[in-house]
Amino acid sequence: MKIRWMIVFFPVVSVIVLSLVVQQHAAKGAAPQRTASVASPSVSSGALTIPDTTLAINSTLPMSQRVVHYEIDAKYDASNHTVDATEVLTYHNLTGQALDHFPFHLYQNAFQPNSTFVREAKVAGNRDTGYEKWESKEYGSEDIKSLEVVGQGDLTSKLQYIQPDDANKDDKTVADVQLSKPIAPGAYVQFKITFQTKFPETQARSGWKRDFVLGGQWFPKVGVWWHGAWNCHQYHAMTEFFADFGVYDVKLTVPQFEVVGASGVRVGEVNNPDNTKTVAYHGDDIHDFAWTASPRYKVKEATYQGQMGPVQMRILMQPAHGSQAERHENILRESLEHFESWYGPYPYKTITLVDPEPDSAAGGMEYPTFITGDTNWFMPKGLALPELVVEHEFGHQYWYGMVATNEFEDAWMDEGINSYTEVKVLDSILGKNTSILNLAGATLGEREEQRLGYIGVADLDPIAQKAYDYYSYNSYGGITYGKTASVLLTLESIIGEDTMAQAMHVYFMKYRFTHPTKEDFLKTIEEVSGKDLRWYFNQAFYGSPVMDYKVLKVESFPVNWYEDKKGSRDKDDKNTVHRSYVWLQRMEDFVIPVDVEVKFDNGEKVREHWDGVSRWTKFIYEKKAKVESAEIDPDHKIQVDRNDFNNSYTAEEHPKAGYKLTNYWVFITQLLGQVVAWWAV
Amino acid sequence: MAEHRGLLGGGWERMRHNKRYVVWFYGLNLALAWLGAAAFGNQAHEILDHSLQANRLVHGFDIGVLIEMFARPEFGSTMAAEAPAAHFALLFLIATALFLPGVLQGYASTFRLPRDDFFRACGRNLWRFIRLMIVAGIVMGAVAAALFGIHGLLEKKAPESTNELLLFEVRVAGLVVIFLVMTGLRIWFDLAQADVVLSDQRAVRRSIGSGFRHAWRDLGSLLGSYVLITIVAAIVLVAGLWAWMKFVPPASVLGAVLVSQLTLLLLLMPRFWQRGVAVTYYLQNMVEPIAVQPLTPVPGTSDPAPVVVIPSAPPETQGA
Repeated sequence: MKIRWMIVFFPVVSVIVLSLVVQQHAAKGAAPQRTASVASPSVSSGALTIPDTTLAINSTLPMSQRVVHYEIDAKYDASNHTVDATEVLTYHNLTGQALDHFPFHLYQNAFQPNSTFVREAKVAGNRDTGYEKWESKEYGSEDIKSLEVVGQGDLTSKLQYIQPDDANKDDKTVADVQLSKPIAPGAYVQFKITFQTKFPETQARSGWKRDFVLGGQWFPKVGVWWHGAWNCHQYHAMTEFFADFGVYDVKLTVPQFEVVGASGVRVGEVNNPDNTKTVAYHGDDIHDFAWTASPRYKVKEATYQGQMGPVQMRILMQPAHGSQAERHENILRESLEHFESWYGPYPYKTITLVDPEPDSAAGGMEYPTFITGDTNWFMPKGLALPELVVEHEFGHQYWYGMVATNEFEDAWMDEGINSYTEVKVLDSILGKNTSILNLAGATLGEREEQRLGYIGVADLDPIAQKAYDYYSYNSYGGITYGKTASVLLTLESIIGEDTMAQAMHVYFMKYRFTHPTKEDFLKTIEEVSGKDLRWYFNQAFYGSPVMDYKVLKVESFPVNWYEDKKGSRDKDDKNTVHRSYVWLQRMEDFVIPVDVEVKFDNGEKVREHWDGVSRWTKFIYEKKAKVESAEIDPDHKIQVDRNDFNNSYTAEEHPKAGYKLTNYWVFITQLLGQVVAWWAV
Repeated sequence: MAEHRGLLGGGWERMRHNKRYVVWFYGLNLALAWLGAAAFGNQAHEILDHSLQANRLVHGFDIGVLIEMFARPEFGSTMAAEAPAAHFALLFLIATALFLPGVLQGYASTFRLPRDDFFRACGRNLWRFIRLMIVAGIVMGAVAAALFGIHGLLEKKAPESTNELLLFEVRVAGLVVIFLVMTGLRIWFDLAQADVVLSDQRAVRRSIGSGFRHAWRDLGSLLGSYVLITIVAAIVLVAGLWAWMKFVPPASVLGAVLVSQLTLLLLLMPRFWQRGVAVTYYLQNMVEPIAVQPLTPVPGTSDPAPVVVIPSAPPETQGA
């Protein structure tokens, strides 16, 4: 065959071969899997109580006030992405009053076209999809088939969907059951529920992707009695979760080839005759339970010696990410070390880190003792995205897992405080300005990244508001994560870094295994620092004023300017006394005292302090030198200033940075021109 | 293989002996890019020149500072910076099309082509080149659209696999195939361009037909030459970027300018080398000997009128 025909055939054959390969792999990925047989439901018996087990924690006593005990027996149908399960929920009424109705979260019902979640996501944006068009694979559901209250009979007919947050009658994410007899204070009540959950293709860090599944928010979960009322919000596009502490005993039946990971400790595994296996997990002092299954996980296990005892680190990696297993283990271990050293002990016996299915919306999520990372097969060491995600999600074991704040109403208390500690920990491990990127001369630090997230939405929302009341998903992210982190970093400049660290430690130890409010947190800082910080908290947390300080102008001229003769003004006379002015301006409404550094051309530096109360101020000097530059916040402690460029001003132009960037731009333009010309003519 | 080396060597010699063209085009490329980057430069200087924050870009490259600069209202829309860059890149394309006939004429010439002849060739072939570009644009655009369409479909299908690397592999393999096909088409129209200029062919369709026949006939050696030269270009670019990162201190703007511009200058050469290959191929294989009728003897002289035959001259006989 002549070479030209070979050349012509090459692309044709290549296209055909590629198509076949893709088709074959795709078919393999989408192949239905063997399904498990229906498992018999487990029903607890005997006197009602919440177990005081400590199997899953390094403590001889329970660490939380246990309100709930969930016993779930679930069977996963991998081909239909459904879970059929029985749930026995024992609830201890510690509210101090009789309870005659109980609301339940049915989170998976959020993934329906008329739900509040989807309506909000369509308008305000969303992490995963904007719902441009509805696809059937996005559908999820959580149906209670039956609900029995022990001693009161079948109350399935008493269940009704409620919408405590809006008037959307199509939203089915909360169901309320009216009891025929109230539950007395101090008494127990037991619910026996059968339900079916259908997962969507991964959304909001839950669901399936190819043959992978992440079971998050998958079972009917009772609301929290909080401040004299049930707190059971609908599932919104920008909200997360809130639940009571307790004990979880969960049996998962899955195909035998699946590798399973879950919250808590594994307490048993049996193979069933129908090619399924049942894996049992137990969790103490946790308030949620999540699990995952995939046939392709590569498991790496290691032990971390914690302050309260050994912690088993179980890391489930994707096969193409094997070379990153050590990175994941290292950052998990270092995060544990830093959190234990700075904030308090990690009491659980396990932490499971899941590297979820590539291209799924399951990455970067936290559940008690169970987190998901997020990486890619190509991840150079200088790009610390896996470290960033793993550290962040591990941090949630403290700020959400143990300090279990209300994520619907005070999202900043888990995401924001966690973003702050994330900056501190990553600064310590990877360097202040290089904790995200340190590659080919380019750098980016996590504290800068948090600030950048905030400055674009600085004037939209205050921190302290319900998560579903934010203007948009961007605003929710920028304010809840970025602004909170920046505000707390700035607070260090007011009370001192050590005092802030002490306050965080006290806050954790005082409020772990409880549901603290925003005032609990803020008052702890005031108590530890011994300072009245309301002036700062009111602006930073409760209000939405923007901070932007500016060096308005600097000017120097000889005191005896009127004696100046032609040509002598520019003479560099070191004995000439100059009068110099430095004007500062507070351009926005956020008031905070600032330091200012004025530098003279003889090398002298002067530190000033401005309370920032007036709109502008000026400093005047008479020296045998001219002002070279003035800089607000010379130590760069303030992270909330919206514009860092105008925080300083140099009397003379320094165009080097501009030239450098312009050279990059010229290079790109030339290269673009060459490439276009290469192919087009 | 010998023919292969002959094309590469011949093309290289033509490019080397006429390196002034590379320098001219480089100057044009730089001047247009400088104009295209002016808006960006002004915007950047406006924000950075009096701010100490700019030091984080001078003594390193802090991406956070760069992002904040782009986000500042006084920087303005990034489109305001991108649009001129794109427009001036397009201008370079037009300038290349305008001056290319002179380059091809110079490459075929056995002597240093006078400036008048260079521009005469440019002017004479301007409309022909526009027609050629239109045809090439239609053909290459249609083929590229089809190939990228298939590529897109494969890319869409590949993620259904549980093999995470499949998408990457499909992407790379697909791009290699597209590159080879498009290079084949480029050869076709490069030969047509050479034919239009060097045969002074007014009927562009004949040059297109001739270019296709010859590209098809010697696809192996021509494609091999072009691919090898493209690999050289890729090596030049990677080596240049590597040297920039490795040896130029972050604060050295002059060093960055020198290394980046040297890289771009060297990067222009491979395409001119490919032009040299096309002209060499044309002279070796496409030119038809034309017998010229003997001229009537000039009265008063005894010299017979010469009979001129345009030879298929080997590359080494082509002078500078």
